[in-house]
Amino acid sequence: MPINALILLMMLVLISAAFYVGRSRALRASGRGSISLHSLPNYHGYFVALWTGVPALLLMAAMAVFGSSISESVIEMRLNQAAAPLAADLEAQLAEDSLIQSARRTLDASADVNAATQARAAIQSRRTAIADSIADTARESGASGLALAGFEYANLPPERRGLFTNDARALAFNGQPSEITPAIEATASAFRPVDRIVRYGGAVLAILLAMAGLAWSRSRVKAGFRARNRVEAAFMGFLMFCSGIAILTTIGIVASLLFESLRFFEAINWRLDQFLFGTQWSPQTAIRAEQVGQTGAFGAVPLFAGTFMITIIAILVAGPIGLFAAIYLSEYAGKRTRKIVKPVMEILAGIPTVVYGFFALLTVGPAIRAAAQFVGFESAVTQSALSAGLVMGVMIIPFVSSLSDDVINAVPQTLRDGAYAMGATKSETVKQVILPAALPGIVGAFLLAVSRAVGETMIVVMAAGQGANLTANPLESVTTITVQIVMLLTGDQEFDSAKTLSAFALGLVLFIFTLALNVIALRVVQRYREKYD
Amino acid sequence: MADSGTRSSTVYHDAAKTLQGKITLDGVNVFYGPKQAIHDVSMVIPDRSVTAFIGPSGCGKSTILRTINRMNETIDIARTEGSIRIDGDEVNSKAVDPVILRARVGMVFQKPNPFPKSIYDNVAYGPRIHGLASGKRDLDAIVETSLKKAGLWDEVADRLDQPGTGLSGGQQQRLVIARAIAVSPEVILMDEPCSALDPIATAKIEELIDELRENYCIVIVTHSMAQAARVSQMTAFFHMGDLVEYGPTEDIFTNPHEPRTQDYITGRFG
Repeated sequence: MPINALILLMMLVLISAAFYVGRSRALRASGRGSISLHSLPNYHGYFVALWTGVPALLLMAAMAVFGSSISESVIEMRLNQAAAPLAADLEAQLAEDSLIQSARRTLDASADVNAATQARAAIQSRRTAIADSIADTARESGASGLALAGFEYANLPPERRGLFTNDARALAFNGQPSEITPAIEATASAFRPVDRIVRYGGAVLAILLAMAGLAWSRSRVKAGFRARNRVEAAFMGFLMFCSGIAILTTIGIVASLLFESLRFFEAINWRLDQFLFGTQWSPQTAIRAEQVGQTGAFGAVPLFAGTFMITIIAILVAGPIGLFAAIYLSEYAGKRTRKIVKPVMEILAGIPTVVYGFFALLTVGPAIRAAAQFVGFESAVTQSALSAGLVMGVMIIPFVSSLSDDVINAVPQTLRDGAYAMGATKSETVKQVILPAALPGIVGAFLLAVSRAVGETMIVVMAAGQGANLTANPLESVTTITVQIVMLLTGDQEFDSAKTLSAFALGLVLFIFTLALNVIALRVVQRYREKYD
Repeated sequence: MADSGTRSSTVYHDAAKTLQGKITLDGVNVFYGPKQAIHDVSMVIPDRSVTAFIGPSGCGKSTILRTINRMNETIDIARTEGSIRIDGDEVNSKAVDPVILRARVGMVFQKPNPFPKSIYDNVAYGPRIHGLASGKRDLDAIVETSLKKAGLWDEVADRLDQPGTGLSGGQQQRLVIARAIAVSPEVILMDEPCSALDPIATAKIEELIDELRENYCIVIVTHSMAQAARVSQMTAFFHMGDLVEYGPTEDIFTNPHEPRTQDYITGRFG
């Protein structure tokens, strides 16, 4: 349906026309310069254009979001209306039916659970039978298709009503309905005009709103009108909206993490201690009741330990290399070297982590295994904490180096001058003056790198293995929080088993940990800045 | 002292000869990249006295100060020509290690720049890197003497282990002077040492400079003509990279020979 595209095009034309209308009216109001305008003519143009475009576009966006539910509720209303005589008939017959009456009496009188269940089933089947006979009679007497469809719809259990509407909608608009019945066909043919009315009505309303906005805002354009302030206020609103999106998204994600985690904790009976301090991780739970031996153990310590070990290895690699590279770049390298080396190092940060992953799996892992076996560790495996840690270390080198470089550059020149003027050499100056001065910032850089390493997924998925081993040997395979989240959520899963929900709890732990690290790192860096600014 | 250029700014004064010369500048030119910042400056700076460099901003007085301990070398594009001698030793020759030179020529900067270390470690920094102290006790003595000479000892004696950056601006500047004194230099260069300080701290530093004059050759760059008049014995006036006039402070301030000096001192420009 190109109707919306057409309307959008019309809107564009209207908006640009509005701009010129506002502008030329402002120019006329200024009397060719004899009366001074408060704002430049362009601002009057923007003002009119905004009033023309924004409300109408908002309406169109609202129609795009809510349009289908509006037409659905209209359809539901019409179905109910058409089926009203039949529904009344049903109620009347139900009230008179002796079988139903006796079942209801049993239900009221008896405290016995079994008897109550039986009575309910009896009512249900009798009700279905009566409804069927009413429908049959109505069909024979030539009732409208819509009335029959509405009657069927009304007698559907609530959870199947959504499916019914979806099928009708699909049938009406060239989709793939799951089944086609006369009732669905009747509803579908009722759907088309309603939907068209909603759609065209929305479009016409949008155009009218745009014209109204144009007329009203145009009437406000006068020499003294503060169009500039209005336009700037509108722009500020837009900026607020953008920052609001980022904040709301964060809040939404954290909230979903939190609620799913709560569901997980509920599933393990609030044994938080077992989750945080248990040493056995085997999240396979019984899918069917008769399965045995798979109770599921959610002790996350092996994952924490694996994450911790890989992070430590990565920092041991990236810390010194990154820091020394930063010192070379900021203190020793000439301008030209710096110009080449720094961007090249930053390319390292641009390599996709999955590339690092297979680098770790195919090159570093086998090399480490070969080296370990050469030294005498016969049991060494390809997927080891060491290979994942080493490669992750290489990945975060640019983090450490570029942040440390910034911090070292921020050390005031007067300190360097002071050291040189004391007769210190370059390396003495670096060791004894610049590094101590930059230390808080360097610590901050390390913490940010750690939080990056902790959250890294792809490298560890490929290179560290999946077995939840609690080990201190870096040549063994370990698993991390992120790897387990991937394992738990990939493939066909039920989203209400403890197994899948545990992924959210792990995510929450990870989130809290990296958040804490980032907060600490930022505070450290900030305190350092205050000292020298 | 061979100089026949038309831009010669060689200025000698009889009074300079009565004092013993310490530093001799001879035909010094300094370039920042293609731009010449100092034009052919020659002068003799006397020992055991205070010589003030005055002049408007950008006249090159700091630049010429920094040639004396080769601090301009830390700026990539700076290049110095000409001869600078301390007690007859050529400063600019390749044979001289700037690290050793800077132990002979201390420097104090405009903004107090104590290192991010304790007060004690700040003062002990120079003696440590140059290996001047033979032991802990010796180092303690050097630190104490230097702080006493800088007039800071009484204020910090009980908190030597606290960070130097925690002191007030005036105290920091005296700490930096103590740090410079600790390596027992012969010359102390001061680049506007009081410009970041309040009048009371300034008065203390000026008092200190006057005391230090007994043992050191002090060269001070200052924006304040009153300060130059108060603390110095000799004054050099620079303008646009030229040494315009150089002589005893009294003469410069009461009886300048050059019209440009007179204009500057009376506040007609600068």
